[in-house]
Amino acid sequence: MSLPTDFGPDSGGRMKGVYIVKPIVYGNIARYFGKKREEDGHTHQWTVYVKPYHNEDMSAYVKKVHFKLHESYANQNRIVVKPPYEISETGWGEFEIVIKIHFHDPNERPVTMYHILKLFHTGGTMEVGLDQGKGLVSESYDEIVFQDPTQLMHHLLTNTKQLTLGPWEHNTDFEDKKEKTAKAITDAKQKVRVEIVMLKNRLKLARETIAQFKEEIAKTQDNQYII
Amino acid sequence: MELEQPAAPEVSRETIIGQKKRTSTTQKMPKRPEGMHREVFALLYNDNKDAPPLFPSDTSNGYKQTKIKLGMRRPRKWEWMPFTNPARTDAAVFYHWRRPSDEPKEYPFAKFNKKLEIPTYTESEYNQHLKSDGWTKEETDHLMDLVKRFDMRFIIMADRYDTEKFNKRSVEDLKERYYKVCGILAKLGGEKKIYTYDADHERRRKEQLKKLYERTTEQIEEEQYLLGELKKIEARKKERERKTQDLQKLISQADNQNETPRKTDKKIPKKKIANPSRPSKIDTSYILQAAETAGIKFPDYKNSGVSLRSQRMKLPANVGQKKSKGIEQMLQDMSLELNPTPTEDICQNFNELRSDMVLLMELKAALGTCDYELQSLRHQYEAVNPGKTLTIPPQLLSNNDQDGSKHLGPEIIDVVGSPGTPSIT
Repeated sequence: MSLPTDFGPDSGGRMKGVYIVKPIVYGNIARYFGKKREEDGHTHQWTVYVKPYHNEDMSAYVKKVHFKLHESYANQNRIVVKPPYEISETGWGEFEIVIKIHFHDPNERPVTMYHILKLFHTGGTMEVGLDQGKGLVSESYDEIVFQDPTQLMHHLLTNTKQLTLGPWEHNTDFEDKKEKTAKAITDAKQKVRVEIVMLKNRLKLARETIAQFKEEIAKTQDNQYII
Repeated sequence: MELEQPAAPEVSRETIIGQKKRTSTTQKMPKRPEGMHREVFALLYNDNKDAPPLFPSDTSNGYKQTKIKLGMRRPRKWEWMPFTNPARTDAAVFYHWRRPSDEPKEYPFAKFNKKLEIPTYTESEYNQHLKSDGWTKEETDHLMDLVKRFDMRFIIMADRYDTEKFNKRSVEDLKERYYKVCGILAKLGGEKKIYTYDADHERRRKEQLKKLYERTTEQIEEEQYLLGELKKIEARKKERERKTQDLQKLISQADNQNETPRKTDKKIPKKKIANPSRPSKIDTSYILQAAETAGIKFPDYKNSGVSLRSQRMKLPANVGQKKSKGIEQMLQDMSLELNPTPTEDICQNFNELRSDMVLLMELKAALGTCDYELQSLRHQYEAVNPGKTLTIPPQLLSNNDQDGSKHLGPEIIDVVGSPGTPSIT
């Protein structure tokens, strides 16, 4: 019954049927200098980060977070081992940052996310919100799903402490977004379903008509033979 | 000869005659004797008219054997002499011819009188080790005696067995007992390797052979017939297996096509263009079936380990570019995000939505094909019945949505599915 796993020899100790979800937020904030810096042409200061969605200390189960920056940066592989998991840099261009989260239990494979570093406002992209004084924010919500975690991992995941005693807020109101998205999708689904039913009926009618036409043609052909 | 000819181009009659004369004078052409074969003569006198060699080239006597030269030496004598055969115990004297010059030797055939070493046993040995249920000492002694007398020729031994004193024994019985006795004695003598005789096996073997030998002609014929039948059955079985495999292949191919029915849609209209007067009945139903089973199969995330929820919204690799483009277009038309916030609920609904979208696209494509077929049938009908026409139900006219609902999705999907009016008449 054991699933084929490639998590090493200790993977036998998995807790079957256990399912833990850890929501996270990752992205970047960016602030414009106001002008192009003379010495290197950089225009923005930015910070790329991974944060827990809920107020908890991720270091309980996260061993390290690996940010892979553009190769033009000195030391493009940055590793952060404790919160806050963030890298601040300056630059002039947008690029894709590879974020890899490693866990304490080596039997759990690291998860990888890709974030496009945003520096400039572009219309229509909803992730980008402007906060007073903060500049530009581009962040995404995601959930890390631990399916059948190892016992060690389970222990670490269920025994997390609060990160701060103060309020824990995000730049984006994800709850609202979730709600709206869910509704929009269900609505769309409904709409598509209706159209499918309609199309199916039309298809049925089309087939019937085809059969009918064929019959007609057959009839006239028969008549022709008689004549 | 050929090279010489151009060098002497003026070949006159004189020169030829002169040459001929010369050859005839220098060499006398021998005549073929009467009755001699031409081939044999040619061996002796070939075309070059070479003279036979002056010296004999072959020093041997050719094919002829020299005759035995008799009377060159005096023949040796043969004498009628007595001899004794050491193989015999009675020292009988016989006579034979022999050269007196030969040394008187032992009779040469005596060495063929081989004696087998038959193990012997004493009374006490027998009582201690050799006692057996079916055999008395007397009978064993008789057996050993026979072995000695007939040099272990068991067939003869069985024949000469003393059936008055003892029961009749088969060859196997005799062998079994004899080899057992030998074995036990050899073991006592300290030998390691002991020959064991499997009498049962031997009996079975002989029985089998006997059965095989005693089959009647009818039985042999029946067996041949049955073997033939078996071969036929196996051949048929193989054939069937091959066919089921082929069928399986076809089914799986059909399944694959169901998963990507765009391809079949593409093919069918083309076929109809090539052969428009005979639209088959199957294709439209097939399209409908294919369209109804269409959708995206998202993989189940049941494997242990860590994963990101957003990964579950990735389109599987088997969804083609055209489809994914279509989905994208539809999502944008409905002003939905391409990558919505991944909660469990949203993931599931979003995947279902996109699967439905694919189904919708397939249905549209299928409808396009049907529409095309309808048009083509109408044209056909009009061609046969001039002046008359068939009416396509208004709700089927593709650009005439009866409930006026907004047309979802991109039209690019229908590029192949709904060609305009067919160009056939």
